Amino acid sequence: MNCYEHVFITKGDLTEGQSKKIIGKYEDIINKNSGKVVKTEEWGLRNFAYKIKNARKGFYFHFKFEGVAKTIAELERTENIDEILIRFLTIKVKKHDLETNYFAKKEFDKKVD
Amino acid sequence: MKRKKNIRKKSSSFSKLSLFQKSGTKFFKPCPLSGKNPPVIDYKNIKLLKKYLSDSGRILPSRVTSVSQKKQRELSQAIKRARLISLL
Repeated sequence: MNCYEHVFITKGDLTEGQSKKIIGKYEDIINKNSGKVVKTEEWGLRNFAYKIKNARKGFYFHFKFEGVAKTIAELERTENIDEILIRFLTIKVKKHDLETNYFAKKEFDKKVD
Repeated sequence: MKRKKNIRKKSSSFSKLSLFQKSGTKFFKPCPLSGKNPPVIDYKNIKLLKKYLSDSGRILPSRVTSVSQKKQRELSQAIKRARLISLL
């Protein structure tokens, strides 16, 4: 089993229900294909540094998971078909860093309120 | 070979920052990403990566930032990953 990190970006006009559905969908795909999701992060709506497919902003989702080559092949195959997704990135890491979340903006805002 | 010589000349003029520095002594700045408790180079750590980009978004050469060879490689890899998902 190897450790991987995965980021995908969806279109900017998502409802909360939709985003939860999408997370559930891709977690299922990982878990069913001999993988295991360690952590899920939502980075929320972010502005792009440049235009992608005529979109200026999108929702970012982040997975940390363990898996094999088959897991990634299946995950990326379905993501290529999915029309809501704009872009994705998979990276192999030696060890999962579960402590730092560089995009934990939302929690901070809640504390202020 | 010619090109290499040119580069060397340039870097030597860069390394001498002060007019009053003695000729012959080398100006040395330690790598900011090595040493004790170095910051983590990661494509998610945008705050760190932005320090090593020019205003127009290009990667700064290590002779300007004095980042070590190994860390410069990691840095450029991380910057390119961040660019791919449109963070930088």
